[in-house]
Amino acid sequence: MHMADALVSPAVAGAAGAAAIALLATAAKKVKTGTSDSIVPLMGVMGAFIFAAQMINFSIPGTGSSGHIVGGILLGAVLGPWAAFLTLTSVLVVQCLIFADGGLMALGCNVINMAAMSTLVAYPLVYRPIAGRHAPVKPWRISAAAVAASIVGLELGALLVTAETEMSGVTALPWNEFLTLMCSIHLFIGIGEGIATAAVLYFIRSYKPDMLAACREASAEQTHARSYSKAAWIFIGAALLLGGLFTWIASSDPDGLEWSIQSITGSADLAPAASGTVASVLESVQTSTSLLPDYGSTWSGVIGCAIVITLVWIMAALITRKKPAVKKL
Amino acid sequence: MTAIERALYELNEIDGYACGSSLMHRLDPRAKTIVTLLYIATVLSFRLDSLTGIMSLWIFPILLSALGGISYNRVFVKSLYVLPFIALIGIFNPIFDRRPALTAGHVVITVGWLQFISICLRGMLAVQASLILVMTTGFMKICHGLRRMGLPAVFTTQLLMVHRYLSVLLKEAASMDCARRSRGYGRRHYTPRLWGIFIGQLLVRTVARAGRIHMAMLSRGFDGNAAIRSTMRWSAADTIFLTACAAAFAIARLADLSRLFNILTLR
Repeated sequence: MHMADALVSPAVAGAAGAAAIALLATAAKKVKTGTSDSIVPLMGVMGAFIFAAQMINFSIPGTGSSGHIVGGILLGAVLGPWAAFLTLTSVLVVQCLIFADGGLMALGCNVINMAAMSTLVAYPLVYRPIAGRHAPVKPWRISAAAVAASIVGLELGALLVTAETEMSGVTALPWNEFLTLMCSIHLFIGIGEGIATAAVLYFIRSYKPDMLAACREASAEQTHARSYSKAAWIFIGAALLLGGLFTWIASSDPDGLEWSIQSITGSADLAPAASGTVASVLESVQTSTSLLPDYGSTWSGVIGCAIVITLVWIMAALITRKKPAVKKL
Repeated sequence: MTAIERALYELNEIDGYACGSSLMHRLDPRAKTIVTLLYIATVLSFRLDSLTGIMSLWIFPILLSALGGISYNRVFVKSLYVLPFIALIGIFNPIFDRRPALTAGHVVITVGWLQFISICLRGMLAVQASLILVMTTGFMKICHGLRRMGLPAVFTTQLLMVHRYLSVLLKEAASMDCARRSRGYGRRHYTPRLWGIFIGQLLVRTVARAGRIHMAMLSRGFDGNAAIRSTMRWSAADTIFLTACAAAFAIARLADLSRLFNILTLR
């Protein structure tokens, strides 16, 4: 579900980034003031654990394919919602920067779609009511809660991926078809993720129940009702920001930059650059051979870019060429 | 090479590149982070059917990787990993948008195909910019830079710890996986039940390790935030780098660089 930068427009990425930073600041405040010191190293190592666990696949019976854990609900059950959100966000940052999984500009979208939906929505609103506020006693409650919460988290994420991509004006796939495709795929992934999460949670419950956040909370007798209502308000605000304010910017005609140029100069087009005679002749030939005048200069541009890029690439390769560590005698 | 071993290799590779001493390596992480974000924003600000505009921005990752003494080939190959998911969504554009745009002999290229290539190129260029940032800076320095830029200390500490323990836990998972595979008689994947026990064991080991780490950190004066030695200083070179890059991106966005390349090469 990691969105790449190619699928978002700057407006959508900016809005999601702002919402993600607001949530991050709230989470940082909650974790700093609301939890014991011991949770900080646990968060760090749990982040690394989720990353390592994602590399190990389980077989999906009858399909011949395999799946892996994503980890939002598992982190929520072990760390609690806000610490889990911070942890999953940090995993997303590492995946983006070191493993090129998800874009840097789209990081805000990924944080909202994956980390926030699973840890701040699906965990408190679906997992906890089903599993019970205290340490779950019956395995079926853990399984039902994990599967339901995983499905809800992933479906909400899929819904947002669709909305963000459509608002960015990147895909030509109509909204209904895109949403149907994404939601149906993520329903199956959600079931697999839920079963995997339930298996791990059942193991923890059997061998080390004090690891579960519900146990710690029960012993500390803390109530988090207010924090969830605040989270809900943040989400409503973020959704309004994403859905309402930026939709018009994300529309393709005119784009944000053209709009700003239009408002400054009164015309969306910039003055044409002075061109040489050869270029203008080439351009006229290309215009006559192309079908749409808008794309008349595309061929010449593509060829020119390709030549320059190849030349610079070769030069860069020569500059950065590996020198032998030991000179040959 | 298993997925875990590949991840370990990439982690070490990034750390290896970050140890360089090029012009790019010496710049402040904050300047490089801002420039990277500006570059990606410029790439994404082009309309999808403006293939030449996006293509003309390809020159920057090549130049910046050369400045950083990094092989652009390696950056390019790594950026190809991003293609499958992008292609999965972008492939619908050629299907739905069949308006003709270009002709190559008798072959008509539709607007949808131009948009598909633009989407793939956008994704690759954005990833290349991020890779160059982390390869010339290193993850730890980026975290320090983010802290100085105002991100919460709890979060940057968390990032540092995830990065620090990633290799430790990946090695632990790799050794467990290797032990299982060597006794698995060719079975590549785990049954769900066995997988649950396996991951659960890894988790229990992880938590035990976290407990030991926490005790060790407390005994060395840890107060909830990772102490950062502040050697980061914004210099004139950083201002020049940031200004020059911002100006270059603005020119590339507003003027059609592909027209200039065309004149330079085909004249």
